[in-house]
Amino acid sequence: MGHSAMGRRVVVTASPALDEIVEVDADIAPDVPWITLVWNDPVNLMSYVTFVFQTYFGYPRSKAEKLMMDVHVEGRAVVSNGSREQMERDAEALQGYGLWATFQKDD
Amino acid sequence: MARGFKVRRVTVDGTRALRYAARLDAAERALVAGLMEQVAELIGAPVPSPEADDAPADEFEAIVGRLGIGGADSPEGEAGSRGERPSHIEGQEDPAIRRLFPIANRTDPEAAAEFARLSEAGLRQRKFDNLRRAAELLGRGGSVELTPADAQVLLVALTDVRVVLGERMGLRTDEDAAGLEAVAATLEESDPRLQFILVYDFLTWLQESLATALLRGLD
Repeated sequence: MGHSAMGRRVVVTASPALDEIVEVDADIAPDVPWITLVWNDPVNLMSYVTFVFQTYFGYPRSKAEKLMMDVHVEGRAVVSNGSREQMERDAEALQGYGLWATFQKDD
Repeated sequence: MARGFKVRRVTVDGTRALRYAARLDAAERALVAGLMEQVAELIGAPVPSPEADDAPADEFEAIVGRLGIGGADSPEGEAGSRGERPSHIEGQEDPAIRRLFPIANRTDPEAAAEFARLSEAGLRQRKFDNLRRAAELLGRGGSVELTPADAQVLLVALTDVRVVLGERMGLRTDEDAAGLEAVAATLEESDPRLQFILVYDFLTWLQESLATALLRGLD
């Protein structure tokens, strides 16, 4: 049983009475989470990147804009996470949009 | 004088719909469509072997060459600025192509190779088809008025063209892009690099207007 913070993910669910906190041990999770990253580049426009995040992921405008700014300011941002297969699909789709997208294991 | 894209609310067969309209003259449409065709050709071309580096330049190369805005006129002159790209890819293929299909995993070369093997052919085909379709949309006469789906086709094609031109101009950082205007001011009118920057600037303006209109259409 892992006790380090890194080995656990915390899932918060809302119930009518109170917020319930469930701990999920990553060791028994079927998929080690992978991530999709988008890297800053000098060509893609802020409006375009926002549009892509909104249309491809279905993110609301506020989230799409925040991720876009993270890419712009930090040089990169994690735009999605999940199974390796899903991250490969996301990276492929985003590369299709001309974004500089990569995927990797979330270490 | 060109007018950028605006979103328009119309009624088609009794249903409300969105259209994205711009005014471009015949020369502007031909310029953009021609660049899209050329980038499609670049993407559709078979992957050159390392020995084929000295093959004669195609039409696209003849037009856009490998002009370095920073004075780097030869591909060798700018090789050092691409430190992030692994050397096994570097030199084997056009860097603009590498930018359109970047190495998809920076931490695991095997995963990157598998991704390329499984995805790149499909990605190339979709980009090729999308660029051809976009060129076709602009090839129609009169004003440009696009459905949301066609507007996205054009939007993505504009990205691919700008990515290739940006790579050709040696744009690596946001500062490079922001400095284009200053570079343009130093160039003689006859300098082909000036035309290049003006074309890139026009495409940027056109894409910005379309992306902004599409964002508005999502509201």
